[in-house]
Formats: sequence, structure tokens, C-alpha cells
Amino acid sequence: MAHRWWGMVIDLDRCTGCEACVAACHAENNIVTVGAGQAARGRTMHWIHVERYWEGEFPNIRARFQPVLCQQCDAAPCEPVCPTYASYHNPEGLNAQVYNRCIGTRYCANACPYTARYFNWFNPAWDKPLQLQLNPDVSLREVGVMEKCTFCNQRILAGEIKAKAENRELRDGEVKPACVQSCPTTAMVFGDLNDPNSQVSRMSRSVRATTLLAEVGTLPKVTYLERESSHGDE
Amino acid sequence: MATNSAAQANVIDIKAEKIRKDLLLPVFHTSRRYYVLVFVLGAIGLPGMFVYAYQMYEGMGVAGITRPVFWGFYITNFVFWIGISHAGTLISAILRLCNAGWRRPVTRCAEAITVFALAIGAQYPIIHLGRSWLFFWLIPYPSERGIWPNFRSPLVWDFFAISTYLTGSLTFLLLPIIPDWAMVRDRATGVRKRIYTVLALGWRGTPREWHRLEVAMRIMAVTILPVAVSVHTIVSWDFAMAPVPMWHSTVFGPYFVAGAIFSGIAALIIAMALVRKALHLEEYLKPLHFDNLGKLLLVMSLLWIYFIFAERLTVWYGNQPAEMAAFWSIQRGRFAVLFWTMICCNFLIPFPILAIKKLRTIAGTVIASSTIVVGMWLERFLIVVPPLEHKYLPYDWGSYRPTWVEITITVGTFMGMILLYVLFVKFVPIISIWELKGGQHAKPIAEQANATVNPAAIRLDSTLPSTNS
Amino acid sequence: MNAIYGLFPDANSARRALTALRAACSRFHLNPKAIVIMSSEPLEEEGFGWEEERTPMPWLAPLGALVGAGVGYALSDFTQRSYPLPTGGMPIVAMWPTGIIMYELMMLGAILTTIVAFVIATGLPNYKKRLYDPEVTNGKILVGVSELDSDCRAELEQLLYQDGAEQVKEFSNG
Repeated sequence: MAHRWWGMVIDLDRCTGCEACVAACHAENNIVTVGAGQAARGRTMHWIHVERYWEGEFPNIRARFQPVLCQQCDAAPCEPVCPTYASYHNPEGLNAQVYNRCIGTRYCANACPYTARYFNWFNPAWDKPLQLQLNPDVSLREVGVMEKCTFCNQRILAGEIKAKAENRELRDGEVKPACVQSCPTTAMVFGDLNDPNSQVSRMSRSVRATTLLAEVGTLPKVTYLERESSHGDE
Repeated sequence: MATNSAAQANVIDIKAEKIRKDLLLPVFHTSRRYYVLVFVLGAIGLPGMFVYAYQMYEGMGVAGITRPVFWGFYITNFVFWIGISHAGTLISAILRLCNAGWRRPVTRCAEAITVFALAIGAQYPIIHLGRSWLFFWLIPYPSERGIWPNFRSPLVWDFFAISTYLTGSLTFLLLPIIPDWAMVRDRATGVRKRIYTVLALGWRGTPREWHRLEVAMRIMAVTILPVAVSVHTIVSWDFAMAPVPMWHSTVFGPYFVAGAIFSGIAALIIAMALVRKALHLEEYLKPLHFDNLGKLLLVMSLLWIYFIFAERLTVWYGNQPAEMAAFWSIQRGRFAVLFWTMICCNFLIPFPILAIKKLRTIAGTVIASSTIVVGMWLERFLIVVPPLEHKYLPYDWGSYRPTWVEITITVGTFMGMILLYVLFVKFVPIISIWELKGGQHAKPIAEQANATVNPAAIRLDSTLPSTNS
Repeated sequence: MNAIYGLFPDANSARRALTALRAACSRFHLNPKAIVIMSSEPLEEEGFGWEEERTPMPWLAPLGALVGAGVGYALSDFTQRSYPLPTGGMPIVAMWPTGIIMYELMMLGAILTTIVAFVIATGLPNYKKRLYDPEVTNGKILVGVSELDSDCRAELEQLLYQDGAEQVKEFSNG
């Protein structure tokens, strides 16, 4: 079995900015909602968030939506700077965050050009009875620990265990992170980049394919397909 | 005697007995003012410790740092204090190696600043941790948890560099104190005598002991210099190794070291002036000392403005959008007031004071040093915060505002530093008595017949014998 | 140990006494190594007392530095190779950070070696009762003989006074 190298493609032509991915990620990964006060100070914890940019002048204004999540960079700047190896590259190409090793220096978040990392400023808490809806597959983080998108590693592991139990290979598109699963326009595709025939590999070879902040040299594994209309007038 | 009065002012011509009496006085005699000072410093500084405990209990959220400005006051203070700690190294090590006689009354003041500034600065990487109580995971010790430091991380380099520097500067400070502690031991009575007997290690003053001490100091002087340079270079690499616009600059290494020496000398001048006033050491810390240090400070100020200009000019010419956002925010935007205050404090005000000989008096250098200390703190702040506020993606730009937690802890550590220094002055003679008296014997006896200056006097501007005056 | 010593007010008289004592060694059957000098500041610049002082310290420090560099290398290289943590294909041991750790531990090795060498070479801390006089820290220079035959005591005393001693005292810790 070839080593997997997980990657994602997001088609910006299809993204409507509905933020279902944001909500799904919160639900799947036990992310706390910080409240209005903390949100105003910039301390939201959206592992995936949709960035909205306005293009053009009135009355020809267009909104451009770009979901930004951890790009699981192959040359991740967050990895060499963590003093305790809490941020490291796992053999399947994911940039993993080991909560138990994190002592909260926050160097990784400074080094990340996408600032796709989120810090637990306080101990996460859920008002009763909301704690009942927490996902038992994902560990809770305590105060002082960094967290970020893991490409729903728990779903990847669950899928691999299931495939092994059924004595078969993982099928392309079988494992879907929460954001990919919930996207109503199927703008997001997830799969194995090492498999040249997977949908993610084929789409990442599209003419519209770009990566975010390619010039920084992080080798991100999330490919964005530019909007058709970006190439000219609408 | 053909010396004019100006030269006389630069000669320490004091009887040995008086030197001992003056310099040992603070150790033996405690005034009420001293107790009040210690109490006040402790009272203002102690809340810092409680606030730190509060921060650990509630979470880092009580501080002003946020996404994307994940580092704020604490890292600013960290770099600031490590920078101040370069004072002692420059004065003691370089001047010792260059045989500059005027350094003798100044070395211990400087070395004490180094040790205490390092001790304070080394607290900050612990204070700023999200899980402070686990700071020891940076130490490479075998454990069953599979924790091992990542040697690629500049923070781990910090740990090694600062530990080495702290060990070195403690040694550099403590070795020459031993003979002075022997002096205190011989004059003390009661409990004090017992304490100083232990501290003096049984020092007697045999040629063997003196020789080994001098050899050790020479080795330490040569060793501590590369360590000091490496320490602040590694601290600068905490920033330069991250791809943040305006951090990722190759100039950071030398820039930080120059800035460190700059702020260190300024802190030393302030400490010397305060000690001179409080302990009535006007005959030992002469205007010449402040004049010489002022000249060094002038050179460092010019070097600093050169680095600032070089760095900013290359960024401006490069015109990269991400860097320019941070650049304009510093120069014209939110941080403009702080930036231009920094330029005034670090260059525009000190330069005329230090360049014009008439103004380079004790008062002048102290004023220049005070503005420089403020300016250098601002410089550290402007290095840490504005680039983090403007990283690559504009959607993620944010702003930083310190809270009372950070301010209290900052004030606490400033008071802690002053308190440590004040306590040091009580337990150790702040001017090295044996080095001062040793400098009086710089001339071989044979030359005395030709000299017209009092042979027992120390000429502060040179240790070479003067054949005429 | 019985000792006799004189307290001299300045370097000139102390030097005269030292020279006289050295010259009198054969006459009084003294061991030249038993002549002691103590002062409150280094007399090196006076040009006497240090002629026979040698120490390997300046060679030990670079040796300690090499040992420190070796420890740094072992710490970064061996430990990381023995318990490799996944790095997604990047090298387990990175050259430049290893170099930095080696450099810092090299300097630490030099510093610690100097401290240890100083402690061993000076024999400090030593709290035993030894020949010493608190007048030394009052600026007097002590010159004397630490192993004394009682026969020569009076003559030595006279010699010391002749050369300018302010006081001559005896010391015994037996």
C-alpha cells in the first residue's frame, strides 16, 4: 500500500461563503465558541474560516470567498520552531499538533503565514447541556495549548480501520473531513495526492489551480481553483 | 607637580585606608533610607508575582495578546532585558583585555547589571508560556513521556545560550568578589563574620591565589565575549527564523547585538550615577568614567541609527506588499508616535549631548542614557508587535493592546531588577577594592624617580607609566 | 605547624624582606617553598612573588571547550538518532542547529573547566585554620616562614624587623 499524502482542493467558483464548513468543523472537533467579547478581540477559534474580500467599485462590487484552513504545508514553518515537537509532520503528510506536548510558546502561530493556528486563551467550557454533543473521538484541549485543523484525523483513522477490517483499500472520497462533507456546493474535495487518479490529484492539476502564498515557499497541500471570472471581466 | 587641575580631576589619589573605608561602608552600615527603599521596591514589585499566578490560573487570555499578535509585552521585555545584560560583558571583558585602566571602578557595577538583567530576562520565556508550569520540557532530560526538545527551534537555542551566558557572567562576577569578601570577613563580627567567612572561601591572598584568579579572569574575559555575541544573535533569531514580514531579515543578528550593547551601556551609566549619588562615591566614579562611557554610547548610537536606516531602506526599496503594510504602519500609521519617539530618544536627543564635549558631563550622559533606555524598549516593542499585526493575509490583520496584567508584571520585573541591584550593593562592595588599589601600582618602582605625578595615584586615562605630566 | 611572619607597610619593605629571607635559606636551613607572602592586592605589577607561578589553566579551558563541543554533538546527534521523532521526510538531525548547540556547550565547557580548575588550583574553599593575619586586608603585606625551627626564631625575627616589618608575629596551629 503506497504511503498516503492527504491533500485538499477547494473550488472558489463554487464557494458561496455560506460557512457550513465552519459550523461543521466546530461540531466535529469540539471547538469552543468564545463569546462576543473575546471574538471582538480577535480570539475566535475557527479552524476553518471563510475570508471575504470585496473586489471592484460600486455598482460592480463582487464578493470573493476563500475558506482558509491549515494548509498542512510540506515545508511548514511551524514545525522547526516548536521547542517541544508539538508541531510535527506525520508520515501521511499531515502537520500534526500534539496537544500533550504543547507548552504554549505560540511561536508556531507567529511563524504560520496563514495564521491558521488558534490558541486556547482560557479553559474551554460548554454550558450544560451542550457538553453532551461533544464528539467523543476528539480530545478536548486545555488552556495554554495550540490547536488547529487536523484534516479530521479522527475520520481518517476511522476510515483506515474500517478498510483494514473489511480487508480492502480505502476508496477515493471515502474519508471526508467535516468541512468537505458539509459543503452544500461540493466546493471542497479531499483525498490522497499520492494516488494520481484520485479526484483531488486530478483537480489539483487543473489550469485554475493556485496555492495560497506560494511565494513564501511553504508548499501547502490545499489547492485553490480560481474563479473563472478572475481571468477577465464577468 | 605639573599636573593641571583637569588632569587632577581624573586621578584617584586617595589613601588606601580611605578607599577601604568608603567602599566597605555600605556593607557594614545600613541607613533607614535603605530599608525604606527596599520596602518600596518590594511593595511595588511584589504584586507582579501574584498577577503572574493569576495569569497562570485564569489563562493567557487575561493578557492583551491575541490572534495574530501572539507575542507582546513579555517578549519585548525579554529581548530588552537580555539586551541590557550586555553591559557588563563589554565593559569588563573588552576593557580588561585592552588593559584600559579606567575600567577598574566600573567593572563590578557592570557585571552586576549583567547577572541581574539576565536573571530577570530569563523569567520572561517562562512567564509568556501558555502552560508555564511545563517550562522544564525545554531541558533535555530523559523521561518516559517521550518529550525531547526540538534542537531546530530557536527557543531551544535560547535556553542553551542563556544558560551558558548566565553561568559565565555569574562566574565573571563572583570570582573577583572573593578577595573583597575576605576583606569584609576580616572586619566583620558576629553572624556577619560567619557568613562572610563561608563566602570568602578561605581566601588569604597568597601569590598562588592571586595568580590563579588573574588567569581565570583572563580566560573568562576571552570566553564570555563570543558567548555574549551568540546570545543576542540567537535571541534575534527567534524573530528572524520565522517568515513574518519585517522579521525575516538577515540583519537581525548584528542589529540586535549592537542594540544590546547600546542599551547596556546606557543602563550602566544610569546605575553608576545612582550608585555614585547614593553611596557618595564621587571620588571614585569620576567625570572621566562617564565621559569615556559617553563616547562609547555615542559610537553605539551612530551604529544603531545606521542599522535602522539600512534595514528600513532595504525594506522600502523592496516594496513587497506584505512588508510595506508593516513598514507604513510603523512609520506613518498606528505606531508612528512610538516610532518617532524612539528615533528622538535613541538618536536625536543623545547625539548632540554625547557628541559635544561640553555637554558630555555626568548629568548629560545620564539624561542621554535615560532617553536611550526608553527608546530601546520602544524599539523592541516596534520589532515584535507591528509585523505581527500585519502578516500576509489582510483578513487576519489585528491589533494589540496590553492589559493591566502585562503592565503589572512588566513593572514588577523592573522593580525586581532595581531591588536585586540594591540588595547586591549591600552585600558586596560595589567598586572592586582590590582592583582599584591594584591599579595604583601600575608603575614599576624604578620609574618613580622620573615621574612627577604622585606615584600612588591612579591615572585613569592610562595604565602606562607617564614619564612626564 | 609553627610559623613566624612580619607585617610590612608597603611593597618595598616586603620585597627587601623576601630577598633577605631567600638569601638566608641556607643559613637557617629553611625550605624556600616555606616562605609565604600574603597581600590584599595582586603584587604582580610590583614584579615579585609570581616568578614561579605556573598553571595549566589556559590549556585546560580549550580542552574543556572541546569536551563541551563533544557533549553538544552527542546531545543533538545521538539522542535524536536513537529516538527519532517523525519529521515527514525531513532529516532527523539538522546540521546547523546541531552546530549552534555544539557552540554553546563548547563555551559552557570552557567556563565550567575554568571554574573547576580555579577551585582545584587555588585549593579554595579551605576553611581550615591556616597561617593568616587579618592585617593583610588592612593593606599590610605578610612575609614569613611557615615551617619554623625554634632555634632560628630570634634571628628570623631580627631579620624581619631589619627589613622594615611593623610587627612580627608567630602562628601555630598544632
